[in-house]
Amino acid sequence: MEFRPIFLSLKNNKAIALLMIIQVALTLGVLSTAILMTTSTLQQWNLPSGIPHDNIISVMPEFYDDSIDIKQSVINDIARIKQLTGVIEMSPVSERPFDARQVYNVYLDAKEEAQAFQTNIFDTNESGPAVLDLKLIAGRFFNQNEVLFGAAKELKQDVAVVLISEEMSHALFKNEVAVGKTLWLEKGAKPVKIIGVYSNFMNGEDLNGIGQSYRSVLRPQVTWQANVDPSYLIRVEAGQAAQMLETIGGEIYKTSGRYINRLEVLTRTQKRMYDGRGSRALTFLVISGVLVLITAFGMSGLVSFLVNQRKKQIGTRRALGATKWHVVRYFLLENSIVTCIGLLLGMLISITMVLVLTEENGSQFLDVGYILATALFLLMVNLTAVYLPAKRAANVAPAIVTRSA
Amino acid sequence: MFSYNLKLAVKSIKDRPSLTVLMVAAIAVGLGLFMTVITMAHQSENIPLSYKSENLYLIQLDNREVDAEDVPIQARMIDMTYQDSSNLMALNTAAKEQTYTFTTNGILNVEDENIQPLRSRLTVTTQGFFSMFDTPFLYGQAWSKQEDKNGDAVIVLSKETNEYLFGGINSVGKQMRIDTRVLTVIGVMDNWYLTRKFYNRSYRQGNPDQAYIPSSFAFKSNLPRMAGFDCWSTTKNSREFGNVRLDELLNSECAWLTFWAEIEGKSKLEEYKSSVNQYIENQKSFGRFPRAKEKMNDYFTNINEQLTFVNSRNSTMGFLKTVAYMFFAVCLLNAVSILLAKFMRRTKEVSLRRALGAKKSAIMFQHLLEVVIIGLMGGAVGVVLSYFGLQGMMSIRLYASDYMLKAKDLIPYYHLDWQMISLAFLVAIFSTILVALYPIWRICNVSPASQLKAQ
Repeated sequence: MEFRPIFLSLKNNKAIALLMIIQVALTLGVLSTAILMTTSTLQQWNLPSGIPHDNIISVMPEFYDDSIDIKQSVINDIARIKQLTGVIEMSPVSERPFDARQVYNVYLDAKEEAQAFQTNIFDTNESGPAVLDLKLIAGRFFNQNEVLFGAAKELKQDVAVVLISEEMSHALFKNEVAVGKTLWLEKGAKPVKIIGVYSNFMNGEDLNGIGQSYRSVLRPQVTWQANVDPSYLIRVEAGQAAQMLETIGGEIYKTSGRYINRLEVLTRTQKRMYDGRGSRALTFLVISGVLVLITAFGMSGLVSFLVNQRKKQIGTRRALGATKWHVVRYFLLENSIVTCIGLLLGMLISITMVLVLTEENGSQFLDVGYILATALFLLMVNLTAVYLPAKRAANVAPAIVTRSA
Repeated sequence: MFSYNLKLAVKSIKDRPSLTVLMVAAIAVGLGLFMTVITMAHQSENIPLSYKSENLYLIQLDNREVDAEDVPIQARMIDMTYQDSSNLMALNTAAKEQTYTFTTNGILNVEDENIQPLRSRLTVTTQGFFSMFDTPFLYGQAWSKQEDKNGDAVIVLSKETNEYLFGGINSVGKQMRIDTRVLTVIGVMDNWYLTRKFYNRSYRQGNPDQAYIPSSFAFKSNLPRMAGFDCWSTTKNSREFGNVRLDELLNSECAWLTFWAEIEGKSKLEEYKSSVNQYIENQKSFGRFPRAKEKMNDYFTNINEQLTFVNSRNSTMGFLKTVAYMFFAVCLLNAVSILLAKFMRRTKEVSLRRALGAKKSAIMFQHLLEVVIIGLMGGAVGVVLSYFGLQGMMSIRLYASDYMLKAKDLIPYYHLDWQMISLAFLVAIFSTILVALYPIWRICNVSPASQLKAQ
């Protein structure tokens, strides 16, 4: 192979070689950082929801007239809306899938040093599992008489039983049977009994962000306090959700002195949960794509310049018997050497950049595998960019050398 | 001579248009992203009320317990108690104006059944707020000290709220309700754009309040208090203070009010600080402010100082900036290669000109002219690209907020102004000249007649 002539020619063209090396190094630096950011952003992105979210409507009403009897309003709402054609099941809830706000710590022990397990607690009544279309994996769902119903400060007792999700059961008890075990929903609170395990559904952004998307607890209570009124989940016939929004809003507004904070199909709640991350990742990807294009063009510009400069040498080689492939190979090899040096430098740059950024925003996303893959990709792009001008170079007529130099 | 060089430069640009296009594209794309990010950073780092922001101080006093942890960062420090807020307001200090704020929420509604109620966030404050922060008024005016004292049910609406509830007419004197409490409109604000909502320490963007009400009224009618209550460990169930036990809260050691003072100049500030210190000394005799003087984390910070910290915490922006700088660098490096390829094609022509007596400086001038023209073209395309870049970034932000933010509130953050456009052209020309240094040096050193032998 022609390593020696390549190094000699690079030595003669130091400036250009340096230019290419810096260019490749910087490109790899930016590209791999952007790709690492994208992959870390997209972790846990768009996971299965575990529920028929396209057919579930979420309503968040709020009372502003203190004189209204909330308990009676909830009973009336449910009775009225369940009568509508197309409505399958409805239940009051404290949190909504994809949107669970408050993260609770639950314990397997009453002791002070007991290990905390993070979860989201969804308060609902006996219809809750049916609205979400959850499958029973073990034990049983709630009965109506187990559900507490009333204003928070008037409730005299605490719930005695809860349901937990499959993943929650796995987190708490590994492969042991969860049904019949006790759980502390708060330090110092009375323990509750687990009566059933249901199929997983997505909780919300906070736990999703730390890879605990399906941990949840269903608690049989419907309660409210100042400014926190029960909201509803309503499952309707497939394909009807969008057109039923207005009807359902109208039913809720039939009681005056209240206001609907939000009325939407859960599909939109899901979209909102992933949006921020998705769009950030998209921005990075678009930037990366443009960057690759620019580098490819720059490379091929540079090589066509080199080819032009060396027409005579190429002619000489051809005249001395080198095949066209030999000429192409020479340029490919020369470019690979330069690119590889650039890539090595680029890896250093990307690792430093990632480490600096990691320190700044605290999340760990260094993955050497991705950097290597990006480097390989850049090498391929560069070789393709070089191939065309190199092929043109191979077409230099051997006769060119016969003209006076 | 100039026109001849210009003719040559233009001819060279037209010659092999694909390389020219590539060169302009490389500069424009790099510049487009660069300017998009720089403009976003520039606009979001604009300081609200910049003409007086240096004089607007956030006051935080350390009334905490003896064993409370040291807080070296102002942004992590607690707010002020009601006791101190009202005492300081009553005190004769060097401040031109003092006020405090907190946030409440409620459902704004009017008699007219056709207008659906509006869930809203309101700022609760005192009369000093409006003069201190120079709020613009469309109709009516702010309430006076008298209404503050009486706890009158008056409200200042934002322009947008007035449009929603009253169709944009002069609604001063009309009645409306927060939940079920009836209030009278006393003023309607004009558009009031703040880069960041500093006055409640949220520093949020594109998040205007719907209305403003007097604190005395909010206390009298027990409107919810959306605040974090930083209390002494002896205070139980402080989370309940948001809705109940108002009297206990007002007399407690719980810090929850954001306190502002307008202080003109350094000497006044020293005066103000000494009277506050005097006040703290006095309070110590009532068993308050138990911490030793040297362990106190009292802070007097103006808006500029607060925003410096807030802006430095914006890590996504920091990342985008790094990427944009490096991206621009890569594009410029590419431009060097393209320019080199473009210039070196002309060795023959240059060596002929040199042989016929053209000086090096003439060759240099001709190519410099060409590069500046390319730079101007790159700048123009770059500005257009960054305009679309900014529009794109704004759509992404709107999409990411699920259209909870309004485009109207976001436009200022993505606005390409003349200052930015001129900066873009400056950067374009400067960077193309930088890029051209090496290629021009190469072409100037082509020896006369060296290329003329062959053919």
